[in-house]
Amino acid sequence: MSRFLVKSPIWRSLSGSCGLLKTSSQSLLVGRYTLNRFPTNATFSTTRLLQHGHLKKPNPGEELKITFILKDGAQKTFEVAEGETMLDIAQGHNLDMEGACGGSCACSTCHVIVDPDYYDALPEPTDEENDMLDLAYGLTETSRLGCQIKMSKDIDGIRVALPAMTRNVSASDFS
Amino acid sequence: MMNIRTLTTNIPRKRVSIIGSGPSGFYTAYHLLKKSKIPLHVTIWEKLPVPFGLSRYGVAPDHPEVKNCEETFTQCAEENIQNNGLHKFEFIGGITIGEQISLQKLISEQDAVILSYGSSGEHKLNIPGESDTKGVFTSREFVSWYNGHPDYALNPKFMDFDWSHVSKVGIIGNGNVALDISRVLLSNKIDEIWKKTDINPVAISLLQKAPISNVKIIGRRDFIHSKFTNKELRELWALERYGIRGSISSEFFDVSKFSSINDRALKRRIEICSEYMKDFSERTKASYKKYEPLELTLDGSTRTWELDYLKAPIKIDKDANGNIKQLTVRNQLLTDENKLVDDTSKSDIVYGLDLLITSIGYAGKPMKEFSSLNIKFNKDRVITKDNRVLSTSDVAFPRLYATGWIQSGSQGVIVSTMMNAFNVADTVIADLSKNDSTTNSQPIDVTNIPHTTWKDWEEINKRELDKGKQSGKPREKFLTSDSMYKHN
Repeated sequence: MSRFLVKSPIWRSLSGSCGLLKTSSQSLLVGRYTLNRFPTNATFSTTRLLQHGHLKKPNPGEELKITFILKDGAQKTFEVAEGETMLDIAQGHNLDMEGACGGSCACSTCHVIVDPDYYDALPEPTDEENDMLDLAYGLTETSRLGCQIKMSKDIDGIRVALPAMTRNVSASDFS
Repeated sequence: MMNIRTLTTNIPRKRVSIIGSGPSGFYTAYHLLKKSKIPLHVTIWEKLPVPFGLSRYGVAPDHPEVKNCEETFTQCAEENIQNNGLHKFEFIGGITIGEQISLQKLISEQDAVILSYGSSGEHKLNIPGESDTKGVFTSREFVSWYNGHPDYALNPKFMDFDWSHVSKVGIIGNGNVALDISRVLLSNKIDEIWKKTDINPVAISLLQKAPISNVKIIGRRDFIHSKFTNKELRELWALERYGIRGSISSEFFDVSKFSSINDRALKRRIEICSEYMKDFSERTKASYKKYEPLELTLDGSTRTWELDYLKAPIKIDKDANGNIKQLTVRNQLLTDENKLVDDTSKSDIVYGLDLLITSIGYAGKPMKEFSSLNIKFNKDRVITKDNRVLSTSDVAFPRLYATGWIQSGSQGVIVSTMMNAFNVADTVIADLSKNDSTTNSQPIDVTNIPHTTWKDWEEINKRELDKGKQSGKPREKFLTSDSMYKHN
């Protein structure tokens, strides 16, 4: 009974069209979990996707952009093909996103926090996804599962943050 | 030119031993091998000949997707099993730390030791008839039986029990294990669910003899304090499409009393129950209208389950043959301080039962050496501070860590186990990095002890997959340790 619903505050300080961060190091408390998001030396990179794992190569002119904000605040932008899931994209680029159930919506290890500007453009989560989000850590109002979101033109340029977990889990977390 | 093999085999790797190969142990190994910049030799010790603990022997057979973490573990093992990279991984099965090899030896000869052996015991009701009545099983033995665990798969306690008379079932406890067991029992005759799973074939053929009519899931507290998660609850309700119908008495489920609840998961739990208890035509959300429910099962019988609350089991009575006859329960009240007290205004209730399964939680057990080593253990778990195991005088025990259910208690789903394991692995890496000098750690000699290696597991796995393929299943498990060693 200790689920937190927090209006994702991490996005409020995001400004500018390309999302380059000018803020200094911030740490935000989401529930009891500290998210250290924006170190001043945040790296920002755009990678052209060649061949990663089983990711498809996007057709020229049809590249869709997605930006991940990592646990250390670094940002990674990738150009990907329509239909790829966020989990596959993250794993194809060796980002720290786990898919314990292999992307079958049976766990919440691929929890992402979606930029509210893009959240409403996503198809609604199913009951099955919501059942798993119930168990996610640091849940926010724009939380989703990375395995359930497929890239489409509607969300070209989407930005998602990987929730940081900076403390140990103990029995009291579940009581 | 020096080849890579010569280069890397000469790296003095720090040695880390992990005790237990379930999700917590394997996720710890995975994170260590992925993140450590100092060369590691990680050994996972497993008492069974085969890996994966509760993923293999705890997760319900109709939840194969939850076992997909095994793919991550397998990939991690394969990448590090050869001696040609920075790290080296080793799996040693069939050896119990504390028996064939002492914990003391590991602690003194390794650079780090991580306890991740889970909860090997379980809580008891401590009521008359609990341990000497036929037809009363613990959730641990029941789940281990249908999952083909070698200690239970062919256990006479199950094999000799007369399943053909099991109609009324009681389950004490309402966590996800209780719901898994309810689902297995209620859907025992629905072949399309089980024929494509790796359920113990001996167990399912016996279970299919049971003409189940009712399963009562009995909790001591109220609906709000139910332990199950929404996914498992939804699955149970969804059995209505097979004519398996659920209910909760209005005494325990009154939506008007829940209006002040704001907790997300709890609100959704209430919605699931109230939607499924409506007539099909009155349901509002599409997800509750996917399949029209059947009033009776396909063989024309009534089959129901119910969530029962505020009852404490008092005693179990048996018939002349020693089989369970009935369970007596006492009504409970929940005080404003959230304490349970007997409700003396009502008399005890007797439930006639043919099968009772107690599912009130797994409990961690201390290893024998804990007392001589002064390792702190309390309330079913090893006591840690910042991931390091504490001594009885509350000092961090050198080089000893704990993760998973032996550290946290037997609660939480795979995400919490995984995060806990990553966190502990980070602490181990940080501690190992502090002291860069070469260590006096040494390989543990197991040449004279029968054991399995990762290569043995690969062969066992291949045989199980092949056998499964022949009968259209994902896998057919070996049911005894002996057959695992022989791979046949």
